Amino acid sequence: MKNLVLMFLLAVLVVATASSLWRMFARTATIDGVRPLVAIGTDPVPPFPPPPPKPPKLTR
Amino acid sequence: MESNLVQYVVQDSGILIEAALVFYLVWTSKWKGQGAAAFYLSSLVAGQLTRACFLHEYGLTSLRYYYAYWSTDFLLVMSAFGIVCLFFRRACSREEKMWRLIRLFLVLLLVLVAAISGVSLCLNRHDFFTYFLVAFNQKLYFGCLVLNTLLYLMLHYMNSADDQLELLVCGVGIQFAGPAAALALVHLTYGGWFAKLLAYLTIPLCTFGMLLVWAYVIVYVPKTAGGLGRRDAPLRAVPAELSKL
Repeated sequence: MKNLVLMFLLAVLVVATASSLWRMFARTATIDGVRPLVAIGTDPVPPFPPPPPKPPKLTR
Repeated sequence: MESNLVQYVVQDSGILIEAALVFYLVWTSKWKGQGAAAFYLSSLVAGQLTRACFLHEYGLTSLRYYYAYWSTDFLLVMSAFGIVCLFFRRACSREEKMWRLIRLFLVLLLVLVAAISGVSLCLNRHDFFTYFLVAFNQKLYFGCLVLNTLLYLMLHYMNSADDQLELLVCGVGIQFAGPAAALALVHLTYGGWFAKLLAYLTIPLCTFGMLLVWAYVIVYVPKTAGGLGRRDAPLRAVPAELSKL
């Protein structure tokens, strides 16, 4: 039983590390209005607000 | 509607279990021996009650709930880091030299995570909240996942006799490993379905799983020898010829 837990934790560690490295290179995008992030707690995760509009470029 | 109902049930049950465990620890005076668990459970109650108030007052999609959620997540991730440190301290209670080394490593890790998040903030100065606070939470979360796995391996390697600590570490492992695995799936599959599953089911259910494991440990598992007290090696079988002598 303990070996199973250990193997599961190790597998998760490897996949999570690979995923984090991948995330460093790939841009984290919003998927269907939900930005995938990890958190703690039993509350529902709020969706990310839309990014603020960029200020218009000044023209001469 | 049904998914909302499930969310509310999981959320309220989680808060109830946390509050009940804190009450149980205080009522039976077990909090003296379970200071780390009491500290983390109190943080969870405080953080989740704040979130629940904002959620019921302003709704899931409101900006206020968004800020309340990620601000309290900062508190919870810092508490999680604190509890992993306390577990390391408990595991090394008889090994002072090792604890000094681990303590230095833990402090360096926290400084490193803050520094990397600071670099992220310097590159995107317009949004402190997203690029520092949320980024810091995410990096420290993964740091805690790695530390917790290392602690679990250390306990196995040392053949620790502290069953209670092992199970508490397993509970924290469920909370960290489940969402991390779901996040990995999100990034590997680019799937929106997995993203929703992660946000609305995996994170709450994994914390819920941790609470159930902790409830079992706190109520039923007695505190055994602390530190790296090792289990006695099993006695070797005596050959039949020798036993007759």
